[in-house]
Amino acid sequence: MKVVFDAGPLITACKFKVGEKLVIDHLLTGCRVLIPPSVEEEVAVLGARYPDGVAAGERIADDRIHVISVNAYRWERHLLGYALGDGERDSIELCVQEPEVQALVTDDHLAFVVAARLGLTVWMLPDLVVELANRRVLTGEMAIAILEAIRPRYRAGVIEYSIEKLREVDGDA
Amino acid sequence: MPKVVIPVKEEILRLAERRKARGAIDDIGQHLAELIDLGFEYRFERLYREFEAGKISLEYFADELGLGVRELYAELEGRSLPTSNIQRQR
Repeated sequence: MKVVFDAGPLITACKFKVGEKLVIDHLLTGCRVLIPPSVEEEVAVLGARYPDGVAAGERIADDRIHVISVNAYRWERHLLGYALGDGERDSIELCVQEPEVQALVTDDHLAFVVAARLGLTVWMLPDLVVELANRRVLTGEMAIAILEAIRPRYRAGVIEYSIEKLREVDGDA
Repeated sequence: MPKVVIPVKEEILRLAERRKARGAIDDIGQHLAELIDLGFEYRFERLYREFEAGKISLEYFADELGLGVRELYAELEGRSLPTSNIQRQR
């Protein structure tokens, strides 16, 4: 499964740990993470003084996170009409450009709405965790541990909803 | 703390001098530095309200403050504020 991350979820996934492993490493067992160079710049270059920036940089350097240039700006005029940053715009364009991208992963309301209006599948980071549990890449227990680890970065209700969804997954098993 | 030379509106300087004359402040420079901090806080809060309402994105918020996304993330964490502005309808 191929997904495109914007900066927010990438920082969160590279910051929080479950057990000995960073959340990003749990996610990478079940999906291919693509980012545009502008997100790499924000997270791994400008963010290099933070441990999560270093973690992202290491995973980019050994090709576990893939940096893909945006070659064609199909929605540029439309996207410039919104108060988005370069990384968010480029992440959306990358989803349009790259074949078989399953979803844009963003925790930002505006990026979420804009991408959904363009017809893209959009997930928050907790939705990706639930999806990986759905696909049996993560156990229900691990998925809950990840959701609890990243909880401080979310507003009330978001993680609770994802845990409810996980119970449905477990119920279906 | 680094020191810079910046133009200051005359009325602001006069007000600071008056406050010093009244003994309300000890140092005009320090008082002006506090006003700059308050300006940053005001701008941060104004932009946070727009971010919270979903009118601007996290990266746009950072750009407007002159911060990188990771720095803004740290700033929000430091204030115990979530970095995601998506929430359930109340």
